[in-house]
Amino acid sequence: MRKKLVSILLATVTTVSLAACGSSTASTTASSTAGDSTATATSDASAAASESTDTAAATAATTAVNVDTANEGDDTLSVYAWDANFNIPALKDAEKDYQDNVDPNFKLNIIQASQSSDVENAITLAASAGDYSTLPDIVLFQDHYFHKYVTDYPDAFQSVDDAGVDWTDFGAEKLSYSTVDNKHYGFPVDNGTVIMAYRVDLLKQAGYTIDDMKGISWDDFIKIGQEVYAKTGKYLLSMDGDGNDLVYMMLQAEGVSQFKDNTTPYISDNKTLVEVVNKIVEMQQKNVLYLANDWSEYTDQTIMGDMVAGVMNGNWIIPTIEQVKDNSGKWEITTMPTLEGNGKEGYASNGGSSLYITANCKKADLAKKFLAYTFGGSTVTYDGALKDGGVITTCISAGKSDAYQAGVAYFNNQPIYSQIVAMGANVPVIQQSDYHYDCRTQIAAAIQNIIGGADATSALKDAEDQLNMDMGN
Amino acid sequence: MKAKKMSVTAKQRRAGWIYLTPATLLIAIMSFYPMVQALFTSFKTGSSAHMRWADPIFNNYIRMFRDKLFIRSLGNTFLYLIVEVPIMLILAILLAQLLNNKDLKFKGFFRTCVFLPCATSLVSYSLIFKSLFATNGLINLILVKLGIFESNYNFLGTPSSARAIIIIALIWRWTGYNMVFYLAGLQNIEYSVYEAAKIDGANGWKTFWKITVPLLKPTIVMTMIMSINGTLQLFDESVNLTSGGPANTTITMSHYIYNNSFGKGVANFGYASALSFLVFMMVAVLSAINMKAGDKRD
Repeated sequence: MRKKLVSILLATVTTVSLAACGSSTASTTASSTAGDSTATATSDASAAASESTDTAAATAATTAVNVDTANEGDDTLSVYAWDANFNIPALKDAEKDYQDNVDPNFKLNIIQASQSSDVENAITLAASAGDYSTLPDIVLFQDHYFHKYVTDYPDAFQSVDDAGVDWTDFGAEKLSYSTVDNKHYGFPVDNGTVIMAYRVDLLKQAGYTIDDMKGISWDDFIKIGQEVYAKTGKYLLSMDGDGNDLVYMMLQAEGVSQFKDNTTPYISDNKTLVEVVNKIVEMQQKNVLYLANDWSEYTDQTIMGDMVAGVMNGNWIIPTIEQVKDNSGKWEITTMPTLEGNGKEGYASNGGSSLYITANCKKADLAKKFLAYTFGGSTVTYDGALKDGGVITTCISAGKSDAYQAGVAYFNNQPIYSQIVAMGANVPVIQQSDYHYDCRTQIAAAIQNIIGGADATSALKDAEDQLNMDMGN
Repeated sequence: MKAKKMSVTAKQRRAGWIYLTPATLLIAIMSFYPMVQALFTSFKTGSSAHMRWADPIFNNYIRMFRDKLFIRSLGNTFLYLIVEVPIMLILAILLAQLLNNKDLKFKGFFRTCVFLPCATSLVSYSLIFKSLFATNGLINLILVKLGIFESNYNFLGTPSSARAIIIIALIWRWTGYNMVFYLAGLQNIEYSVYEAAKIDGANGWKTFWKITVPLLKPTIVMTMIMSINGTLQLFDESVNLTSGGPANTTITMSHYIYNNSFGKGVANFGYASALSFLVFMMVAVLSAINMKAGDKRD
């Protein structure tokens, strides 16, 4: 008996230690889902993979983030990307465009990371180790993180100034993310212009139309939201409570930043910010806004689970909205509300990503040629990206193609793409900071604390102190 | 020639050292070297590619005492420690006592059931608890259908209930693990001791406190040290169940350390290393106290 027990004990220890090994790797990938604004939930990624008739989808859906650049062919480039519904179809269209029109032997090896933070961590790891050989030739990278990464790891990326691209053909706000010290590093892929999408059928039940929602104030929005909730039981807005992008978007619509300059937060004495935070708290308390516990609850439960009558986020959220097939034709989009209202419409931009060439790329010329040809302004690439992934360009000339003028059935045949391009032109450029996401986390925590009963002034002061500490001020 | 003159003991000693060398070298390279490096890193600052010495040199260590978020994560971790460890160990010892009963039928089945949670991976059980307690999850469904709650309750979005759920999850996951140690300890207690107690007229309660607990003491001390150590390094539950939220009210120290190194793009490895050393020291001190208090041999 004793022997038996000892063997059980031994077996236990082995299992536990094995389980511990397994979980530690898994947790690094599963950990910071809340931090990504552009990663759509993994569940819809798999849904897309099963639906897609494109056989290439299966090959791209490799889960392991690992790359062997040393052994790939001269015509092959590898790239990290993370969204099977959105940016991966765009990359496939670019590959096809380049194969059809430039080099039939060209191959793009798309490696799917499960979320954008995997790409960020891959760069942190490679740069900390001083060994870039683990990186692919090209990475898709979140715009708001890029300045911070160039500051931290100046050797990790290659400049693309000599790629021969007409940069004036791109939106200035978008380029400001991928340009450091007047050097261009990135090729813009998508467009972060914020849309405010409403379920018109639910608005109608409360007695409103989409036109009633245009140019309203946040106070009007709260009033309408309460009526919608009373009539239909649906929230007019939802957001991830941990990675709360509402503050940034609502502030940008007012032309105000959370930063005075790159390293000085502008929070507790920022009257607009305080007002915006108060509005968010009020919305939550009056059942107008639902704050999800994390990013996947935001996408899977609130949007795909049909809990909301309105969605406000960067237009990359559209593929997530479209996952609910039953609601086709019931959505329409318009501009954001503003604090002032009375016809003043809000414009903002949130999230988005660009393609960057890493220090590990030995075929920089090919990479530059490929990216300049495709994402540098090819209408074939951008039309395909729009059709297959709903990726809207910031390239001005490509945005004028016919594909952008077509009505979208899901959005009641509204020509939403041309509308979004038009809205994008109005987005004010505001002060950015390397600490964008850190600031977002701190203010999100402050909002949660205020909802939990804390005093608004002191909660925001705490957030500012914490942010200053993280920034080393 | 010299080797031939070696005595048998010397030869055996040499053989012993040779056997030890590979493992020693591996531990030194894989474990001790990184520890020393981490100590150096904890005095540095800046991005991980270009680290420089902090000024003043103890800056990272001074900083952590002004860091409200770190203090909060410290508080959370100790809350889990103080609430969870005693409940878990008492439950484990009671279960072990029950399952050690000679007349119990299906003993093997019950033991397997209690131990089974330990076989699940930390991430998967965290995710299962997360979906159970989600606002649209099973627990809410049951509570609303039974009429206990009027509407769905956001368990993971409310600080107090989120903390309680982490504690419940921890108890579920680790009780069986500790029970196995107690069970092994109980098997080592001679049955004749109990018989003698019975003859002397001791009831079950007295037997438990006067015989079982004192004789199990070494096991209890060991499980306590392991639990304290494990709880201070709690990571998976905080990351996967609540992601530290709402508003960092459930974040643990290890999770905060992770956030400072990889999460949120801050990449402050110097500060993260300094925090790790504080955790290391706390584990060492608490374990030392535990061993001193539990060991009455001299």
